[in-house]
Amino acid sequence: MDDYALGVLINMGLFSFLALSAYLLLIAGEMSFGQQAFFGVGAYAAGIGTAMWALPLPVAALAAMALGAIAAWLVGLPTLRLRGLYFAMATLAAAEMFRILFELFHWQRSVDGEPVGPDGTQGFRGIRWVLEQGIEQAGYAAIVFALLALVLAALFVVERSRLGATIRMVGEDAELAAVLGVNVERVKLGVAAAAGALAALGGALYAHHNTYIEPRNFDIMLGVHSLAYGLIGGLGTALGPLAGVALDIGLLESTRAFQGYRMIVFGGLVAVLLIVRPRGLLDEAAVNRIGARLRHRGAP
Amino acid sequence: MLADVAQNTLDGLMLGSAYALLALGFTLIFGVLRRANLAYGPAIMLGAYAATWVNLSFRPGLFVLALVTIGGATVAGAYVERLCFAPHGRRTLSRDAAAIASMVGSFALWMQLEELATLWLPKHLYSFPPLYDGPQFAVGPFLMRVEYIAMMVCAAAVCYGLHRLLYRTRFGLAVRAVVDEPEAARLAGINVPRVFLLVFGLASALGGLAGYLIVTAHEQVTPMLGMWSTLKGMIAMMLGGLGSLPGAVVGGLALGLIESYSQSLFGPQYRDLITYLVLFVLLATRPTGLWAMLAHRPAVAA
Repeated sequence: MDDYALGVLINMGLFSFLALSAYLLLIAGEMSFGQQAFFGVGAYAAGIGTAMWALPLPVAALAAMALGAIAAWLVGLPTLRLRGLYFAMATLAAAEMFRILFELFHWQRSVDGEPVGPDGTQGFRGIRWVLEQGIEQAGYAAIVFALLALVLAALFVVERSRLGATIRMVGEDAELAAVLGVNVERVKLGVAAAAGALAALGGALYAHHNTYIEPRNFDIMLGVHSLAYGLIGGLGTALGPLAGVALDIGLLESTRAFQGYRMIVFGGLVAVLLIVRPRGLLDEAAVNRIGARLRHRGAP
Repeated sequence: MLADVAQNTLDGLMLGSAYALLALGFTLIFGVLRRANLAYGPAIMLGAYAATWVNLSFRPGLFVLALVTIGGATVAGAYVERLCFAPHGRRTLSRDAAAIASMVGSFALWMQLEELATLWLPKHLYSFPPLYDGPQFAVGPFLMRVEYIAMMVCAAAVCYGLHRLLYRTRFGLAVRAVVDEPEAARLAGINVPRVFLLVFGLASALGGLAGYLIVTAHEQVTPMLGMWSTLKGMIAMMLGGLGSLPGAVVGGLALGLIESYSQSLFGPQYRDLITYLVLFVLLATRPTGLWAMLAHRPAVAA
C-alpha cells in the first residue's frame, strides 16, 4: 500500500471515532452539532501531554479522554433536556466557544531550547511523539484500527446488553422510559460523557498523526460531517457511521477521479441516497433483516 | 460616551436588520415545514455568485444585480426543495425522521452548492458594487451608511408584507392551515406540496434579497458567505424563538446589538465568544427565545 492510501485509511479510522461519538448521542435521541469540540479537547490535551511534558502517548491519550468526558458532561448538564434543533444549536454554540477558546489559548514552554505548545491561531506544532518513537505510517494505522476495533467491540457488547436497550429506549421515547423507571437524565449524561471521551481519543490520535493542529481544524464543518456520517450510514448498528465515513473519505477522497468535484459528487450522492433510504444505509430494519438472515443460515 | 452608546446601538440595529432578513427566510421554512434548511445560506451564496459573474461580465445596473441575486437564490432554493424536502414529505416516514433526512440532505447540497460556486468563481474575494458611492450620511454626530438604511427599510417592509400575506390573503390562510394541521389542510382541498414549494421559493427569494443587501454593504463576495448566512440566520432565529416571525426580527436585532456592543468593547474574537455564550445560556435557560420573554411579560407601566 502506498503512503497516500495509508493516509486515507488512517483518516478514515480517525474520523470514525468522531462519527461514533455523534452516533452514541444519536441513538440516545440527541443530535449534536458539537462533537468536534471534544475531538479538539482531546487533540490539544494529548499534544500538550506528549510534546510539552514528555508523557508517553497512552498516558496522554487517557488523560485526554478523561478531559473530553468531563467537558462533554459539563456541556451536557444544562443542554441535554433540550431536543432536536434546540440541542443541536446549543451544542453548536458550545463547540464554537471551545474553538474560540483554542484561538485565545497560549501556553508554551521550552523543550530542547524550542518553544513548544499551543499558540492561539498560530496553532500547535511539533507533536512528534509518534515519529520520535520510530513508528511508521503502517504501524500507526495498525494502532488506530486496533483501538477502533476495541471501541467497536465494546459498543457491540453494550448494545446487546440491558444498558444498550435502555439507551435506545431513551432515544425512542424519553417520557415512556422515565415512566418505566429509567433515570433519563443520568443515562443521557453518561452517554454524553462516553461520547466525549470517544471523540477525545480520536482527537488525540489525530493530533499525533498530523503533528500540527490549529483551532480551525475543529470547526462546525467537522461536526456536521461527523453527524451526517451516522445519519447517512444508518443508526441500526455501530457499523452505520463507519459506512458513512467509508463513503465520504474512502470512496471519494481515494478515487482521485473526482478531484475538484468531490463535494458536488458527494452532495448529490447523499441527497439521492436519502431519497431511497431516508434512514440511512444500515437502518434498524435493515440490521434486523440481515441479523435474521445470518441467524437463519447459522441454524442447523 | 453617550454618543458611543448611541452609535453602537445604531450600528447594531443596522447590522441586526440584515440578520433579521436572513432569519425571516429561515423561520418561514421552519415555521411551515418544521424542518431546518442548512442549504439556505449556500443558496444565497450561489445567487450572490451569479450576480458577481453578471457584474464582471456585463457591468449592468444595480437593479439587475439585485434581481439576479434573488433569482439565483430562488432557483437554488427550489432545487434544494425538490431534492431534499419534497421527496421526504410524501413517504410514510415519521415527522422526526423526515425532518432529519431533509436536514442531512440539505447539508449535502450545501457542500454541493458551495463547491459549484467556488468552481465557477475560484478567487477568494470578488468586489461587489455598493448601492451608493458617495460619502456616508451623518445625522448630527452619527454616521449611517445608505446600505444599512436600505436594509432597515427592507426588513421593515418585508415584515409588513409577510404579515399581510399570511393574515390577509387566501394563500396565507392556506399556509397557516398547513402549519396547524397538514392532514386536515389536505382534506380541505389545499395542495400541500404546492404550498411547501411556494413557501420555500418565497423564503429563498427573501434570502436572496438579504444576500444582495449584505454583499452590497460589504462590497465584496467571499466563499464564506454560504456558511455565514446559514449560521447568522440560525442564530438569530434561535435567539428570537424558533418558528416565530416576530421572533426572527427580535432575534436578528438582538444579534446585531450583541455583536456591535461586544465588538466595540472587547474586539472581534470576544465578540463571537460572547455571541455564542449568550445563545448557549439563552437556550439552556429560556429555549423559547427572546420574543416569548417579551410577549408574555406583563405590561410595565411607563
